[in-house]
Amino acid sequence: MTMVDEPLGTRVVTRAEIEDFLYNEAALLDEWRLEEWLDLFTLDCVYEIPSSDTRGLDGGLVYSLIHDRRPLLEQRVLRLKKPTAHAEYPHSRTRRLVTNVRLLSHDGDGIRATANFAVFRSRAGKDVMYVGCYEYLFVLDGDALRIKHRTAVIEHESLDPHGKISIII
Amino acid sequence: MSEGADPRYVIDDRERGLFRVNREVFVSDEVLDLERRHLFDRAWLYVGHESEVPRPNDFHTRQVGGRTIIFTRDRQGTVRVLLNTCRHRGAEVCRERTGNRKIFTCFYHGWAYNNSGALVSVPDSDSYSSDFDRGKLGLAQPRVESYRGFVFTTFSQETQPLLDYLADATHILDQVADISDQGMRIVVGTHRYSMRANWKLLMENSVDGYHGLTVHQTYFEMMMNLGTTPPGLDGNRGIGRGVELGNGHAVAVMPELGSPIMSEEVLLERRQRRAELVAKFGEEHTIRIANMTRNMLLFPNSAVIDLNWGIQVRTMYPIAPGHTEIVGWQLMPVGISEQMERYRIDNALSFWGPAGLATPDDVEGLEQCQRGFASTNEVAWSDISRGMKKEKPTIVDELQMRAFWREWNKQITGTAYTFENAPLDTSYIASDTAARAGGA
Repeated sequence: MTMVDEPLGTRVVTRAEIEDFLYNEAALLDEWRLEEWLDLFTLDCVYEIPSSDTRGLDGGLVYSLIHDRRPLLEQRVLRLKKPTAHAEYPHSRTRRLVTNVRLLSHDGDGIRATANFAVFRSRAGKDVMYVGCYEYLFVLDGDALRIKHRTAVIEHESLDPHGKISIII
Repeated sequence: MSEGADPRYVIDDRERGLFRVNREVFVSDEVLDLERRHLFDRAWLYVGHESEVPRPNDFHTRQVGGRTIIFTRDRQGTVRVLLNTCRHRGAEVCRERTGNRKIFTCFYHGWAYNNSGALVSVPDSDSYSSDFDRGKLGLAQPRVESYRGFVFTTFSQETQPLLDYLADATHILDQVADISDQGMRIVVGTHRYSMRANWKLLMENSVDGYHGLTVHQTYFEMMMNLGTTPPGLDGNRGIGRGVELGNGHAVAVMPELGSPIMSEEVLLERRQRRAELVAKFGEEHTIRIANMTRNMLLFPNSAVIDLNWGIQVRTMYPIAPGHTEIVGWQLMPVGISEQMERYRIDNALSFWGPAGLATPDDVEGLEQCQRGFASTNEVAWSDISRGMKKEKPTIVDELQMRAFWREWNKQITGTAYTFENAPLDTSYIASDTAARAGGA
């Protein structure tokens, strides 16, 4: 996959297109098709989850929960597919609701969109729900949308009872 | 077994080299009640780091030893711990997590306190009798003492001074803090999570080298995929040393793990900083502080884990026997380049925290233990004997955990604590003069 960071020109991106993208992404994650999910990202991407007290700050300079650039994101995916990733073996069952999709801006930098999420995770007799908001920066790779920056802002003050974020949120 | 030993919870058989802990201690409400009274009401408990309240009137509200406290630097610059409960009817007087405030006003009836704890305003105070003494109704303040910026509190008046309490753990805190001559700071951001497992399992896990290769195999594979071969992975399992530090504190020390993510610039800066350390402390102490890692337990419920590329400070507290709340912070040297800060954060996040590539597997392991404890009636004892008759226990031995359990058993049952290995090998311990040169 190559990453071409180009202005949008006359290409029009609609909210419906973003919604289709997000629903497809959610399905890939729920089906544990993580390599295909990784292909949705650019090579210079960032995937992050702030801590409850680091929202809006540079996630690479504070104690976030996740601040993965592409190499670490690849390792995260690689790890999750192994039976030795104990926290996720056997795999969790997950189901995601993605909603309140908003297309915020659409300019030379790319397309900014947000969406609310609820991710239900069930494993080892424990059911938890992660709730929050996605903040996306998309760019175009040819005609295809790619994720350049994906922030999952979770609303939980403490990860109790979750204990961990071993799945992709 | 030592004289007067109570073997109900801990079997410490020096002669046969066997050490066992009864799993009742992980599941029993009665034991948790004993822990609250004998440990958390008495011990020095980690509150935070002075760098978290850099300016006068900065504050954080926290849970420490089950109490809600306000950790603040008052307007005169004194670091204080105030119990967050109104002297009138009990409500918390501060409901924000962090901020900068001179006055804390209880919203229930409007009583107001300054950040030195004094009660400064009672609405309609004329309605009180002449014996109502406002001067005696300040916010309650447990004892506060600090060492190298690490602030502790105790709710007991009888507990020995912090310096005595920390025993040889002070040397390890020196090694952590000596890395910077401009001081250390806690990075903005808090990892707050829980586990469905007993809090003591995470104390054990925090100094347990034995689980490294099995639990964290995927982490080490990640490191190798990114171009680093951690030492001790080629069958050489017995590296480093486990050391008892006194009063239940213990440390596992080993050569540095290697750093999976490092640019040329960061490598150069590391070399330059190392040269500065050698100039200041000499080669021997520099090896300790810059080329060794240390996983340290501070009895009863905190840990400082210095892996060179990151320093995790962690506390754990029982909500219930099988439910623990965990808070993790990241400590960093002051005065390093932004690049170096990013490098440290990258490494810290790749390992630690509820979303790291290592910690979730620890939580999973400990929750699995707790599930296994459902059979405690049939399988009563856990084994922590590894390396017990060794002269030099390594990090994959279990001396570190035995030190914790001996102190725990002393506090809970009154069984005397005696060191397992005497005389203590001090080759990993900083000399006072070198360590204190960095400033206390």
